Amino acid sequence: MNHRLAVRDVSYQYDGHSVLNGVNFSADGGEFIVLMGLNGAGKSTLLDIVAGLRVSAGGEVLLNNRNLSSYSAKERSRQISHLPQGTRADLPFTVRQVVLMGRYPYADSWFESDEDHAYAQDAMLRMDCLQFRDRLYATLSGGEQQRVLLAACIAQCPSLMLFDEPSTFLDVHQQLQCFSTLSELAREGALCIAVTHDLNLALAYCSRLLILNQGRLVEDFAAHKAAENPAWLSLLSPRLHMAQTPEGKPWVHYR
Amino acid sequence: MGTLPVTTVRPAGWIWASAVVFAFAAFFLPWIGSGSISLDRVLAKIPPDYPIFVQLRVSRTLLGLLAGGSFSLTGCLFQAMLRDSLATPYTLGVSAGAALGAVLTLALDLNHLLGLPAVWVGSMAGAAVILVIVAGASAKQGKLSGVRLLLSGIALNSICTAFILLISSVVKDRRAFSITQWLLGSVDAVSYRALFVFAVLVVLVSIIVMTQGRGWNLLAMGEAWAGSRGADLRRLTIVGYCCGSVITAAAIALTGPIGFVGLIVPHLVRSRISTDNRILMPCALLLGGVLLATCDTIGRIVLAPAELPAGAVMALIGGPYLVWLVRRRF
Repeated sequence: MNHRLAVRDVSYQYDGHSVLNGVNFSADGGEFIVLMGLNGAGKSTLLDIVAGLRVSAGGEVLLNNRNLSSYSAKERSRQISHLPQGTRADLPFTVRQVVLMGRYPYADSWFESDEDHAYAQDAMLRMDCLQFRDRLYATLSGGEQQRVLLAACIAQCPSLMLFDEPSTFLDVHQQLQCFSTLSELAREGALCIAVTHDLNLALAYCSRLLILNQGRLVEDFAAHKAAENPAWLSLLSPRLHMAQTPEGKPWVHYR
Repeated sequence: MGTLPVTTVRPAGWIWASAVVFAFAAFFLPWIGSGSISLDRVLAKIPPDYPIFVQLRVSRTLLGLLAGGSFSLTGCLFQAMLRDSLATPYTLGVSAGAALGAVLTLALDLNHLLGLPAVWVGSMAGAAVILVIVAGASAKQGKLSGVRLLLSGIALNSICTAFILLISSVVKDRRAFSITQWLLGSVDAVSYRALFVFAVLVVLVSIIVMTQGRGWNLLAMGEAWAGSRGADLRRLTIVGYCCGSVITAAAIALTGPIGFVGLIVPHLVRSRISTDNRILMPCALLLGGVLLATCDTIGRIVLAPAELPAGAVMALIGGPYLVWLVRRRF
């Protein structure tokens, strides 16, 4: 029963109607989980609850066997980073300033320490955005901005990383780069959970798939078993069909 | 993809530089005015130079410095909290509430309430009432969100403005004149006791606000972003709203509504110095004070012996400058 993350019977209501209903799963470091489902299935809400940004109406979330609500905000964010959808900066922050924001839960002093700068530097190097560290975040392209936000999440050094549609606005190459970085982070020991709508991107990189349907967790399987019972595809669209890549990996095509 | 040169001035350097400008303004501006004042006579405490200098010029300069600083700091704060670069101390309705309270006391021709000047009491009471209403209207399930604060603040702002218009159209004679005069916003000599209380308030609020600089940076990127970096959203929102409201109400009580300084100074400092609130806020506090005190000084010399209210000077100089800045940057 020792899991890094355990979601127990979590439910959530919004304005009287049920968004999540009895969601159960547990996960450990090293896993890269993709959470899928139709629009409005409750994916972002579930991610927010796991991130501690929303409090579930019923059930509990355990992080390292401890109830998430017993963590202080700073304690929690040393463990969990969450990349929300659509983060914009209207005010002219530089890339370096944005990445250093990831160090918020560690720094107590007025300005960041050399250690904080070192972590930010490493994260920017990793996400290939060190070269524009002194540019304004708002002047970057969508893909570059997303890399900067990911770098901030990495600089936060969490053991659980949550990403809400991290590959939106990215070009194809950047999407692949983004997902291979996430799977790399998982291989290094982090637990990564991402929401995406791109089935093939998910199947190529993740280790496990969770599917939400109308607030219930209806499917939970390892990615390499995706082709064994492709009935789950019909939950997403009747026009999906399971096939194989030349290497024998599952591949979804559209009809 | 070339890299831009890294700024060579250290962040703390900007704060010190602003402090030097502030100190320079505090020492220099009181000497400027319609009548010249001789240093020898002031040092020898000879009237009329000495009382004019100490009772009028110095207290007026100090009030300008403190009020301008308060408006600018609140501007930075609300702009970060609401992620809206057009937010001013007016945006959340508190200023309009303070103005309504003050106008009400002017309309009723009250001079003193509870042993204090009635305008102060009126502004503080008006601000407090609006603060409670806006906070109450935007709290939902114990949470305060920036969007709800913004919308209810704007709504309350219009309601208060409507009442102010209503009162000024009903009131006749010299009271109408004093209301108009007050609404223009001016920096007049006030007692040192009032200045001292105001200064203590500004220092306290500045310390509380500025030690949360990293939090304001996070909030400026979004509530979800700030929350998952470990910022306590609820506390930040309440602290920011209350702190901004308190110093704005106090500043309005003493000077009338001159909130425009709270829009222009943060933008100026952001474009020249830094967006990082840890640098932005202290610099805006210091330089905003300098700007308002300077506008007041200009207002008392251009048409001497008549005086232009500082609020009008600020709008006449600041307005075109802001248009120019916007054209260059957006």
